[in-house]
Amino acid sequence: MRRLRRGLVRAASEISEGVRIALANLVGARLRSFLTTLGIVIGVMTVIAIVAIIQGLNASFESQISTLGAGTVYVSKFGWFVAGRDAWWEMRNRKDLGRRELEAIQREALHASAIAPMAMTRGPVTRAEKEVSSVQIIGTNAQYLETGAGSVAAGRFLAEIDVDLSRNTVVLGAELVDRLFPGATAEGALGKKVVVNGIPFTVVGTIGRRGQLLGMNMDANVIVPYTTFLRDLGGKRSLNIAVAAAPEDLPALEDELVGILRRVRQVPPDKKDDFALNRQEQFLKVYRQLTGALYGVAIGVGMITLVVGGIGIMNIMLVSVTERTREIGVRRALGARRRTILLQFLIESSVVAALGGAVGTALGLGVAQLVALLTPLAAAATPSAVALGIGFSAGVGLLFGSWPAWRAARLDPVEALRYE
Amino acid sequence: MDDALILVEDLCRYYEVGGETVRALDGVSFAIERGEWVAIVGQSGSGKSTLMNLIGCLDTPSSGSYRLNGADVQGLADDALADLRNKEIGFVFQTFQLLPRATALANVELPLVYRGVSRRERRDRAEAALAAVGLTNRMHHRPNELSGGQRQRVAIARALVGEPSLLLADEPTGNLDSSTGEEIIRLFDDLHRRGHTILLVTHEPRLAARCPRAIRLTDGRVVGDGPGAEVATLTAARVVHA
Repeated sequence: MRRLRRGLVRAASEISEGVRIALANLVGARLRSFLTTLGIVIGVMTVIAIVAIIQGLNASFESQISTLGAGTVYVSKFGWFVAGRDAWWEMRNRKDLGRRELEAIQREALHASAIAPMAMTRGPVTRAEKEVSSVQIIGTNAQYLETGAGSVAAGRFLAEIDVDLSRNTVVLGAELVDRLFPGATAEGALGKKVVVNGIPFTVVGTIGRRGQLLGMNMDANVIVPYTTFLRDLGGKRSLNIAVAAAPEDLPALEDELVGILRRVRQVPPDKKDDFALNRQEQFLKVYRQLTGALYGVAIGVGMITLVVGGIGIMNIMLVSVTERTREIGVRRALGARRRTILLQFLIESSVVAALGGAVGTALGLGVAQLVALLTPLAAAATPSAVALGIGFSAGVGLLFGSWPAWRAARLDPVEALRYE
Repeated sequence: MDDALILVEDLCRYYEVGGETVRALDGVSFAIERGEWVAIVGQSGSGKSTLMNLIGCLDTPSSGSYRLNGADVQGLADDALADLRNKEIGFVFQTFQLLPRATALANVELPLVYRGVSRRERRDRAEAALAAVGLTNRMHHRPNELSGGQRQRVAIARALVGEPSLLLADEPTGNLDSSTGEEIIRLFDDLHRRGHTILLVTHEPRLAARCPRAIRLTDGRVVGDGPGAEVATLTAARVVHA
């Protein structure tokens, strides 16, 4: 027990002595320590900044994409991600989706919690002398909001009766309220007349602000009953149909939709689907592939810089071992074992590198914050990135410090004491 | 003879230099009892540094045997030699060999760090050792803030702090002016009277004459072993004859 205790005390005091010596040398040669760790600082800074920016992008992208509705399947003629010209032409030549498909889904889709058609076009919206051009005009039904399309800010949304009677009622997006009724509250727009693509409509409600989705303004739109849309604004367009379900029901819903659509559209069993089921997950998947590649590049660059930084540390440690040859001799004469010397120099190189890593992490986070302030990009730092930055550089110090430390430990005490 | 602190028999140390064998030490035998103060005296190249390295367990002999405090040093592994140095030997060097960035106290604590002594005990013992060499008010100074004599006192405190069985001093006055050197020698004299075993390696007959016993080396062989004054005189005579 006594021996073990002594051994532990000895190991602890050797380690604390090592850290003390390392810090003393660091302070004793500030400029050199700074230059030594510059490589590590830059490497860690680059990686941390890039990772923070990518993580910030991820967070903002995921919050944007969630406005699409996580539990919604969008039935369309076109898939969102088209691979090549031939696929695009194949989609282009498909039959349009129309009321028949909508009604079949409404009749037969048991897993659906909400079903909303979406007929879309662009056109001007005017009120008196004010005009907003190229507004997204959406024709839909009362269930549209339940597919994850925002919420009412003032008044009401479209009701079944608006759809059944093909009324000229309209719900305005937040930006339309701002631009057609400047200075007024959302309530101020209610009951007023606006002209959508040449047709007069009465405002019954407004939608709360939704922000942007992938650069698309989600607030510059107006929503009208799809029946009115098809009658007055263009009946020849293919419908999109948004079908919502509880997340656990989504796979069953998709199976169901495929069956319904194939039957209604009379797709022979040996042919592929002539429609597409789109989900927000597809965006996430493509996006993750993209940022995964970015991550790879960032980590590659960071690795190269860390290796360069590590070589810098190795160089300076070799110089340090030579300069302190006599010190090593004295320590050996006083009873330091080889592994004690080894440990001392390993601690020194990893402390230097870890401090460089800490500085680099701080700078990297600073750069990321700066980027977040000056550009639309977001930045987020996770504690794991910080721990990784510091831990990794300490590891680099350990790795590249091991050869100099081994050389120090191998010195012959007699020679070392005599070294001039 | 069995209870001798140092027992050296037919000790040889050869070096290979440019294909030739140099016999730095060629069959040296002697014994040193506990409490003795012995000078190893000889001119440069006589083998006294080689002998000191062997006795200090910094080097291992080519042949012959060396027993320190009853333990056979022959064939010990590197770690065991390090532990032996830590426990049994207190080194005092000509150039002091203090760590420049550490305070006097930290320098004196160092042997205890390598022995695994707790921080508080280390501090207490180092303070006591510095007090014993009269440096109580210089404990927190760095070597470059101390005079040569004070540095050597720190080095002696460092050598004594671990209570070794042997104090091994290599030209301890070589880098000091004569009056400071005299102080250091008086300190050794004092330590000797308090029972420490001291081995003093020097090329100065004058210094060897002060020791109760001296061993004279020439060309790696013992050519004189007796009372310091006699061996030193003999040496001086030889130098005159030469």
